[in-house]
Amino acid sequence: MATNQETDFRSQETELPQEPKSQEMLLNLGPQHPSTHGVLRLVLTLEGETITGCTPVIGYLHRGLEKIFENRTIMAGIRYTDNSDYLSPMLNETAYAGAVEQLMGMEIPRRAQYIRLIVNELQRIASHLVAIGTYGMDLGAVTPILWAFRDRESILSLFEALGGSRFNVNYLRVGGVLHDFPKGWLKECSEFLDQFEKNMVEMVGLLNGNEIFLSRTQGVGYIDPQQALAYGLTGPMLRASGINWDLRVNRPYMAYREIAVNPQVRQEGDCFARYIVKMDEITESIRLCREAIDKLPGGAISTRTPIALRPPRGETYFALEGSKGELGVYFISDGSEYPWRAKLRGPSFVNLQILPELLRGHKMSDAIAILGSTDIVLGEVDR
Amino acid sequence: MFAMVNATNGTPWYAFAVQLWSGIAAWSFLQFVVAFIVMFAFILTSAVILVLAERKVMAWMQDRLGPYHTGPWGLLQSTADVLKLMNKEDIHITGGDKYLFLFAPSVFLAPVVAAFAVLPFSPYIHLPGSALATGIIFLVAMSSIDVVGVIMAGWSSNNKYSLIGGLRAAAQMISYELPLVLALVGVIMLTSVLAGLPGFPGNDSGIGTISLLQIAQFQNSAWPVNGTGIGILDFLFKGFTPWSWFILFQPLMLVIYYTCGLAETNRAPFDLPEAESELVAGYLTEYSGMRWALFFLGEYANMTIVSAISTYLFLGGFSGPGVGFLTGLNSLGWGFLGNILGLVYFVLKVYGLCFVFIWIRSTLPRLRADQLMQFAWLILMPVTLANILVTGLIYFITIQGLHLPTGLFLTVLAVVNWIGVFGFIWLVGRVTKTTTNRAQAPAIRAQLRSKPVAPALPLRDGVPTRVALPQEASASAVGAGSSAE
Repeated sequence: MATNQETDFRSQETELPQEPKSQEMLLNLGPQHPSTHGVLRLVLTLEGETITGCTPVIGYLHRGLEKIFENRTIMAGIRYTDNSDYLSPMLNETAYAGAVEQLMGMEIPRRAQYIRLIVNELQRIASHLVAIGTYGMDLGAVTPILWAFRDRESILSLFEALGGSRFNVNYLRVGGVLHDFPKGWLKECSEFLDQFEKNMVEMVGLLNGNEIFLSRTQGVGYIDPQQALAYGLTGPMLRASGINWDLRVNRPYMAYREIAVNPQVRQEGDCFARYIVKMDEITESIRLCREAIDKLPGGAISTRTPIALRPPRGETYFALEGSKGELGVYFISDGSEYPWRAKLRGPSFVNLQILPELLRGHKMSDAIAILGSTDIVLGEVDR
Repeated sequence: MFAMVNATNGTPWYAFAVQLWSGIAAWSFLQFVVAFIVMFAFILTSAVILVLAERKVMAWMQDRLGPYHTGPWGLLQSTADVLKLMNKEDIHITGGDKYLFLFAPSVFLAPVVAAFAVLPFSPYIHLPGSALATGIIFLVAMSSIDVVGVIMAGWSSNNKYSLIGGLRAAAQMISYELPLVLALVGVIMLTSVLAGLPGFPGNDSGIGTISLLQIAQFQNSAWPVNGTGIGILDFLFKGFTPWSWFILFQPLMLVIYYTCGLAETNRAPFDLPEAESELVAGYLTEYSGMRWALFFLGEYANMTIVSAISTYLFLGGFSGPGVGFLTGLNSLGWGFLGNILGLVYFVLKVYGLCFVFIWIRSTLPRLRADQLMQFAWLILMPVTLANILVTGLIYFITIQGLHLPTGLFLTVLAVVNWIGVFGFIWLVGRVTKTTTNRAQAPAIRAQLRSKPVAPALPLRDGVPTRVALPQEASASAVGAGSSAE
């Protein structure tokens, strides 16, 4: 085990470090900072330019979503899942709806499953584009973010045509999806995928082989696979450390039981590996979208459920592969239309916990690189 | 003017004043004033234009439009920015050294403006005295004073982050000055070889020049002195001989000079002192309004200077088709036209190089502080020293040793230098690869020792096939076993 921290974690409450020794400096990477990752506060202890300690302080974006769920019907609550990981709302909605469906033992129509797959993969592409774009900008490359956002605009207009809204789409329902594809949507989606593949070539050309980018990301922020498993990391952070675990493959759900996913795994475990995993996942998602569009079955798009749906008493945990890792919902129902408890397992919250361990010993500029590569979204961390 | 201050007996007490007045009222002083005003205007408008150009060009590279509404195609955006900055509140710090704080922007801007004195803008438009004969040394001295301005700004801001940022910026600027100067030495060596040849300025072989005007003349004197008989060729190529521009003979030095210029002006990829996403605030934090604008004007003026010097030393300066011919006609009208043409070519070349500055900024990410230092000291310094050594060696072997003609020396030098350019690129790639391999080695070793956790799906044509894995039978698919009570 590579951890130097005290193993008695109960004694470490979220307190700020004591007054530092004379050569150390306390630096606040404050709630607002230009590395656009949201309102995360990192209290760093620096010795010169080397980080000797780090305490993340979260909660600046806590909105009490899980409490809100308890006071909304399930259909109304789906809209609030959009706010959790605000960069991948469709995936959050799928998790919540999927948990309720799993509790009710409901198998949704095949067409709905395929629609959900297409929408999820498009959302994954959008989320990874933001991650890659902002990562480049943190490191000083100001162009890839605009190209990434240009392509993300196409995805968002597809979502707008589909569900009425670009971001918080509120498109999924328990039992299926809300609307079928509008006329011409599939054609537009295919054209987008073709164009996007060409644009990806440009973006790859700008960053992947750039020596400056490589020397800032390779070898930086190494995560041991045992360490990754111990901290419960999931998603690209885990797969970049060589562990082949993807919920779409190992615990397949919905249409992933019929369309197989090629998990993208890298061995190096550093920031560059995490970046490459995200790029490869984008390519894989493009392929999955195309396959799903080709094999799209006909039929109903939803099993009608009442507006004030009352799931049976019980509890269940349903997890899917979100863009940042294992996105799960632990749903306890007491038989009424309001959930008794709906806990969101935000992957960013779990992935964030490795940060103090990871930052120790690195320089300040590396801290920015590492933080960007963990791809945390504070909406998911704080809920 | 001051030569006769030591008055001998019998001169009236007002002799000194008379001499002073005769000095000021002379034509050369008026020329000096006009030249200074022209240059200052050029610098300021250049900085203003560059601000807008950078925003527009970077925007186009990023697939967007840039400033659009202020004036046609956003052309008045810079004017609006300057007016806004002039109207901003001038915040003075309370805690730190007040006068250092107030003077720092001027100390930063003044040497950059002074450095423009070495530039001949066109055959006639330059400071009297052939554009400051001590060109290169003056230039280097001015860029060294810039560092003082940065340190003053960082220290007087009374803010430990500004101090760290200022010192880091100063360290960067100092480190990159050495390869910058050494890159220029190669050019000086070339001029000293070419001096004394027919048609080239200078009388003795072995004595080069550091005056920019003469260096430009060195690059453009490869046309027969009395011209060929053919009118059109004379018009085009008299004073414009691109085959003897120093970029052909020392391209590696242009690359290195340009890179060091990037670092001197704190431009990407060396813009750590100005970066917003790095934490340390930088020496500019406490400045607002016009003082901040002075820093940025200084930065863009610095950009212009680096481009201008590169033009003079490697791209022939203001030369272009027609300039030498028209100014050599000894007529006022045609000479004037020749000067305008020279100015146009100069501006085109300078802005072409500034465009490369902007291009590089929008393409490359930022270097980390220690990588920046390593690049300067461990890669650029040895390469520039090696270039000086190699140039000298080739000179001794071909000219002193074998008494070959100068043309052959130039050809050998050109071949070696062009190979050096690609070698330099290869070297940087190798060094990066070595450092990252060394950094990644423990990770790869650890990975190879560990075993994979979950089995991978079998692939067919690169697409995984769904095979029923043993534990899939009880996997929690939707609708399969749920833990409902």
